[in-house]
Amino acid sequence: MSDETKPGAAPDSPEEMSRRQFFMKMGVGSVAVAALGTAVFGYQYLSPNVLYEPSPIVDAGKPDQYPPDSVTLDPQTAIYVVRTAEGFFALSAICTHLGCLTAYKPDLGIIACPCHGSKFNKDGVKIAGPAPKPLPWLRMWLNEDGNLLVDRSSAIAIKQLVRV
Amino acid sequence: MANGAANFVDQVRENRIWRSIFRSGTGDSNLRRALFVQQNVFLHLFSVKARRRTIAFSATWYLGALTFGTFLILVITGILLMLYYHPSVPQAYSDMKDLQYVVSSGVFLRNLHRWSAHAMVFLVFAHMFKVFYRGAYRPPREFNWVIGVVLLLVTLLLSYTGYLLPWDQLAYWAVTVGSNIASAVPLMGHKIRFLLLGGTAVNANALLRFYVLHCVILPFAAVLFIAVHFWRIRKDGGIYAGEASSEVTGK
Amino acid sequence: MSDSKDFVAVVDSDAKKTPKRIAFITRRTSPQVRVRDEERVMTYPEVFFRTAAAIEVLAIGLVVTSLLWNAPLEQLADPMHTPNPAKAPWYFLGLQELLHYFPPVVAGVLIPGLVVMALIVIPYFNINIQGEGLWLRNKAKRLRTFAVVVIVFCVFLAIFEVWVALVPTLIVAAFMLLAAQTDPQIATGYRASLARKPLSFWIMTWFLFELVVLTAIGTFFRGPGWSWVLPWRA
Repeated sequence: MSDETKPGAAPDSPEEMSRRQFFMKMGVGSVAVAALGTAVFGYQYLSPNVLYEPSPIVDAGKPDQYPPDSVTLDPQTAIYVVRTAEGFFALSAICTHLGCLTAYKPDLGIIACPCHGSKFNKDGVKIAGPAPKPLPWLRMWLNEDGNLLVDRSSAIAIKQLVRV
Repeated sequence: MANGAANFVDQVRENRIWRSIFRSGTGDSNLRRALFVQQNVFLHLFSVKARRRTIAFSATWYLGALTFGTFLILVITGILLMLYYHPSVPQAYSDMKDLQYVVSSGVFLRNLHRWSAHAMVFLVFAHMFKVFYRGAYRPPREFNWVIGVVLLLVTLLLSYTGYLLPWDQLAYWAVTVGSNIASAVPLMGHKIRFLLLGGTAVNANALLRFYVLHCVILPFAAVLFIAVHFWRIRKDGGIYAGEASSEVTGK
Repeated sequence: MSDSKDFVAVVDSDAKKTPKRIAFITRRTSPQVRVRDEERVMTYPEVFFRTAAAIEVLAIGLVVTSLLWNAPLEQLADPMHTPNPAKAPWYFLGLQELLHYFPPVVAGVLIPGLVVMALIVIPYFNINIQGEGLWLRNKAKRLRTFAVVVIVFCVFLAIFEVWVALVPTLIVAAFMLLAAQTDPQIATGYRASLARKPLSFWIMTWFLFELVVLTAIGTFFRGPGWSWVLPWRA
């Protein structure tokens, strides 16, 4: 048997490709393309395009209902609306350690987490406990009706206050 | 260059990690081909060798393999569809609409599932008739034929239970008619219908029962019987090759 | 072996002796014992790639179908509004057609039950392993039995006015008579092969024919109120 009949054997000259090798390449190539396409379409299928969850935008109502120098928790949406002399801002009430709902202690003037004892001050900065990060500030603004709106899905890096 | 690619594949196959997983090794030998089948937990349901006459298209039209192929397609598409389907009333119908309009490739997967289901019922019947007309049910293969009939019933039940899941008019009334036929069984009919529906009417309980039947119980049964069916083919001497025209040693 | 015709088979428990395979071939056993030896091929790649290719072709066909045609989805299920007609899935429409003529006990339970039992029992009957043609022996006697059975069955169908089942029965009976008329020694081609078909072939073919006709009628020719419609007019 000559070498050319062995599968995968090198053809006579370097530029030639035997029919077998050509079809092998076509086969492997199309399988690769199909696999890639399946992966892309599979990923798109598995990520939902529509979520049936409540909107991240919270309507916190009129600014007047919040007494001056207050920290108000809305447990349903897990945010704090904080009113200081300089203005309003919103904090996430979800502890950055493992996700428990924190609570404001007015007599101590701090925000405390019941699960593992993390403590935060009114600016969200951590003062004690295992929490790795401060409570994030959430984007807040006034809409046309004069209501305070908070977007729970966008944390702001630069601490801005909403002045009323 | 092509030689280099072949060498690379060989090098990968010689690699220690590869060889610890796949033990077949390299080279073009019948030993390696035999090991490929025999050492694989899925493939070793098949025998290492097959009779030449049985692998021709004209022997079986590959109907058994095609039926199994549709079953695989149905399992894969079915599992993917389960990720977006809630078996509750009327959420199920909204989920069908979601799959059609909102989910990426949802309409394609649902179509593929539906058409494969029709194809599987058709192929199961075709396979049965082909086996009969070939005479492949005769001794020693009688019991495998019976297992095939059981698989036919499992297929029809799978199709029937799946039919209810979209919870549209077509589904609801098809199952109502079917469950009323079930109640026509003498003595036990109403009890059977009651157990099947989980109640007296086709409602949320019925949907949940049909969902569990369709996604868990019947697929389990199908896989079990398919495994036995394949195993029996092997133990009965392989796929029936038909009367040999040559090499008949005389009566 | 000195005397190959007469020998006695004994059971020997000596594990050191190489076992010899003995096959006692009696009548009515597997038809494959006639072949002594046969060429074999390796499962991988012969069976493996043929099966893979067949499944791939099937998958391509199904994928193309799925891309072009949508599965139906009607309105939300409404227990208070029955569509007219209310049809079962296509593989049950043959049954639903029979329901038109017979009460549910018969068409829904008895007939499917008998069909399933008959299917299961087929290979256990004292069957005709050689597949000997129906009309090749005792032709006159068998023709008489055939005539009685067919006439009784057709009268029964006519009484219940099940014309959709009667017509296929008559057609198959006609072909059986044609086979009976044909002398397999002289005839050639199609008529000759018909003449050699066994009874099991005729019964199964009749069943297949009825299945196809009943399902086709239930699918295409039945409209509101299960009335007769012509699909090209609807």
